[in-house]
Amino acid sequence: MNVTLNWLKTYIDFDFSPSELADRLTMLGVEVESIKQLGAELEGVVVGSVTSIRPHPNADKLVLCQVDVGETDELQIVCGAPNAREGMFAPVATIGATLPAGFTIKRAKLRGETSNGMLCSEKELGLSEDAAGLMELPADISLGTPLSEALGLDDIVLELEVTPNRPDCLSLIGVAREIRAETGNPLQLPQVNFKEGETDIREVTSITINAPELCPRYAARVIQGVKVAESPAWLQQRLESVGIGVINNIVDITNFVLMEYGQPLHAFDYHKLAENRIVVRCATEGEQLTTLDETERELTSDMLVIADAEKPVALAGIMGGYDSEITEGTCDILLESAYFNPSSVRATAKALGISTEASYRFERGADPSIVPAALDRAAQLITELASGVICEGIVDVYPGQQPLTQIQLRPERVNFVLGTEIEETEIVRILSYLDFDVETSGDIYQITVPTFRSDITREIDLIEEIARVYGYDNIPTTLPKGDIPVPASSPKTEVRKRIKRFLLAAGMMEAVNYSFCDPNCFDKIRLAGDSPLRDTLKLRNPLSPEMSVLRTTLLPSLLENAQHNRNHQIDTIALFEVGSVFIRNGTQEEPERVTGALAGQIGEGIYSNPYRQPDFFDIKGLVEGMLEVCGIVDYTLQKTDVPIFHPGRNAEVLSGDRRLGTFGEAHPEVLENYDLPYKAYLFEFDLEGLVDVAVFTKRFEPISIYPKVARDLAIVVDKEILSDMPIELIYETGKETVESVRLFDVYEGEQVPEGKKSLAYTITYHSATETLTDKAVNALHDKVVKRLSQELGAELRM
Amino acid sequence: MRAELEAIKTEALQALKGIETLDALEPLRITYFGRRGKLTDVMKGMGKLSNEERPEIGKLANEVRATLTEAFEATAQALQHQQQEQQLETEAIDITLPGRKPTYGKAHPIMQTLERIEEIFCQMGFEVVTGPDIETEYYNFDALNTPDDHPARDLHDTFYLTDGHLLRTHTSPVQIRTMENQKPPVRIIVPGKCYRVDYDVSHTPMFHQVEGLLVDKHATFSELKGILTSFARQMFGDQTQMRFRPHFFPFTEPSAEVDISCAVCQGNGCRSCGGTGWVEILGAGAVDPAVFEAVDYDPDQVTGFAFGMGVERIANLQFRIPDIRILYENDLRFLRQF
Repeated sequence: MNVTLNWLKTYIDFDFSPSELADRLTMLGVEVESIKQLGAELEGVVVGSVTSIRPHPNADKLVLCQVDVGETDELQIVCGAPNAREGMFAPVATIGATLPAGFTIKRAKLRGETSNGMLCSEKELGLSEDAAGLMELPADISLGTPLSEALGLDDIVLELEVTPNRPDCLSLIGVAREIRAETGNPLQLPQVNFKEGETDIREVTSITINAPELCPRYAARVIQGVKVAESPAWLQQRLESVGIGVINNIVDITNFVLMEYGQPLHAFDYHKLAENRIVVRCATEGEQLTTLDETERELTSDMLVIADAEKPVALAGIMGGYDSEITEGTCDILLESAYFNPSSVRATAKALGISTEASYRFERGADPSIVPAALDRAAQLITELASGVICEGIVDVYPGQQPLTQIQLRPERVNFVLGTEIEETEIVRILSYLDFDVETSGDIYQITVPTFRSDITREIDLIEEIARVYGYDNIPTTLPKGDIPVPASSPKTEVRKRIKRFLLAAGMMEAVNYSFCDPNCFDKIRLAGDSPLRDTLKLRNPLSPEMSVLRTTLLPSLLENAQHNRNHQIDTIALFEVGSVFIRNGTQEEPERVTGALAGQIGEGIYSNPYRQPDFFDIKGLVEGMLEVCGIVDYTLQKTDVPIFHPGRNAEVLSGDRRLGTFGEAHPEVLENYDLPYKAYLFEFDLEGLVDVAVFTKRFEPISIYPKVARDLAIVVDKEILSDMPIELIYETGKETVESVRLFDVYEGEQVPEGKKSLAYTITYHSATETLTDKAVNALHDKVVKRLSQELGAELRM
Repeated sequence: MRAELEAIKTEALQALKGIETLDALEPLRITYFGRRGKLTDVMKGMGKLSNEERPEIGKLANEVRATLTEAFEATAQALQHQQQEQQLETEAIDITLPGRKPTYGKAHPIMQTLERIEEIFCQMGFEVVTGPDIETEYYNFDALNTPDDHPARDLHDTFYLTDGHLLRTHTSPVQIRTMENQKPPVRIIVPGKCYRVDYDVSHTPMFHQVEGLLVDKHATFSELKGILTSFARQMFGDQTQMRFRPHFFPFTEPSAEVDISCAVCQGNGCRSCGGTGWVEILGAGAVDPAVFEAVDYDPDQVTGFAFGMGVERIANLQFRIPDIRILYENDLRFLRQF
């Protein structure tokens, strides 16, 4: 909502600068979003008078004007406007002025004649769409006056952000009340007095409320013989300065009072009302109403309408009807001032997709008590500005009158909650500045809440009022007393932290993806038709089909990230993500997954670290490292038939029977589906699974002081023998004397027979209790060789 | 014999001077010290000397031997040193060749910010708790004192699932879940993903929040100011100024929006703070008694305060990303910058 400084000053005195006022209001909770100087774009435009006109020697459509702008020398200005005439007062953009369209006036020669400025139309000044000729100004303004001043535009507009709990601040008087709370200066409310005519209103109309729940109060006046015309300049300026369009004097007055009091009013053409009377009722299902915006609306039975004897004539609290609107021919009007139920207005406005200044206020909660005062204020202005005679009396139907809200306030509670030491006198002062009635006899105050503060219903609401007027800045800044508790940390947090730290150290970049995914992604990763991962939770209102379900696996996200990077010529792809998936399982479950992808190339592509393609063992190494940092050593690998993977290059990691996760090379079709021209390697693990088997405790193991002995062993075995089978046998044979077995070579080819392969290991023998002699090592090594030969058919390779 | 020894000494020392390599030194050493070397020969002849001559010549012979041994060793050492110098000289490399840098990954910028926030609050005794992304209207709105017809509940604002659940719009439901299961005192922060129907340069449909809650027998608004001021100074620097502005949230009262002095202009007003010198970083307030009632805490026995901040917003005060949607593209050129 916008307010202007000058307008505010008609209701309260203050001598704050615009920025000071903005600061004060902001710190009271009425945030000022911007401060604008009205007419700032008219700088350099002044009032001038055309003293003489002569034809332009070189152009038929142009004339040369001598223009007096209150300086010693008159200006010669070339002009092409049809209405230019001697003696006319018009705006002059002087040299250096920049017009709203963006061009700056310079001394120029037009067809050989000097022009020292520009005579302007309203359109050229951005004041209206009127481009027919020069803007005509009243001849009583002194020459040289800045146009913004002449037009009453020398004002400051503050744009306010009013929070939904403060509808009382949606008016000039409401904002003035806040200034009063800050300064203690008295409010100056409009003096309303007018003469009523002789006709009794009860003879010319009646009000019936059939839905008192939705319309607790409805009041009306009838004004006869009005002259609908353009509003006077001051009224137009006021409304335009706060961004409200000007229509005609009657409508403008209702809008003026809306801004002044925050009370929406509506004027009906009295003679367009069937039987000249008002019935407030709910619409019948399917009833039609054409609103002021010339839109035909179909209504439902929960919508409140203002009707005449036959048909709806307005959407209550939202918008008037087209057929009963004020026109030039209107002579008698019925002026409505009412209070409507906020929820009802909100629901109807929402259902019909309309938001107006009126609905905005009613749905937040207007002030039922102001209804007659606003009506009288408008009636007064109408007789003043549009003549007319006010019928005697007011019809005011008020079936929903509520007692004033009473609240008990414990003054010590204020300081208890805020951590302050505000004096009781200060508390009383603040509350009374806010128009609360304070009864202080006894330990507990009795507070009566003014009707315009419907947001105040509890003691805590009053405490907030005291706090904001006292000033949040004045509340001390302290730290909680007592010991600082030691926050607990869960094993899950620990495992997540370790895994992240490891993957980052291993060169993987962390990705974060949306929890939404495209249901088509399951085909792209070749999920079986009956895979439980396809059973997704679906959004009712997705932003797009690609974001319409919640993901059940993180792998498609990372593949999309790989694709995105590939499309942008980034081929060193090493990404991981830790995030929740959403499993539909009676109750929703949100297990966490840790997922990684390697694709394209590894390395830096430099002399000392050339690029190479990642392979299965890169992803396997990452998995092994990840398990290691979680203290998980007791696991087995097994090939799987997970369809996202190459059938011969994948594995699942099992702890007992429990699958902790899978990894492997992406299936060629998956690569194709994500436009990846190279292989990709993936893993996905269940974080909860890892947490369950993670081992955090560590014990010191003595470090042997004896030397170790390393022996290499190359064996030829059948191709089908897996590389870890000999390793297991070696450990089994050598027991604790075998410290480590490292596979350092695998060979198939000319040097070994068809169907065989050579495996070469370094076995390190080590004892914790003695120096191993050659003899002892040889004996053990021979035993190992024999065992390998017996059980795996291994031949020693010389 | 004496003359012979002196001659050998002179000759050998002279010869040593001409030696330039270790390879040339060894034959010379053999010439004098070898089994048939000149000095060895002389020493062998000692037996023929008379008893009178032997001690004197013997002494001289030992002196010559010692002198020459020392001279040969010195030469050998010098030559070895020289040879090593030459060797090292040939081994010189182009030090501008690129280093073999171990590859290391980087945490996502949002996670970096989130971790820093968690760290600061953990030091102040806040425990990190989490809750589900999929929520009910009860926890997301009702229990947080949000009116039934509040616009935030609209399909325009909140993502709903076809089964009637919703994606939480803030991490505040975890306040309720925690208080339902725990007696006061409570001192928690709740990091997590949140969702709102919004997609433009400054909004993504999924974003991250950190919610904080402290409930105790007597937690005050002044302590809320203290905790948040301490947080902001650690997060944004010692010089950070704070401003608490009255605001409105359904689940806190009194409520505040919290601004910090703009880091770009040091509070003088610039384009990035809209000329005000202040930048909003979070919303906060004292826990509304209605919230306590929803979790069966007695509002006369406990007080508390809560706060919530957008991680993207806080991250972007530092990173100044013009279109935050890039955060969730996971473009490696972007991720490597942080």
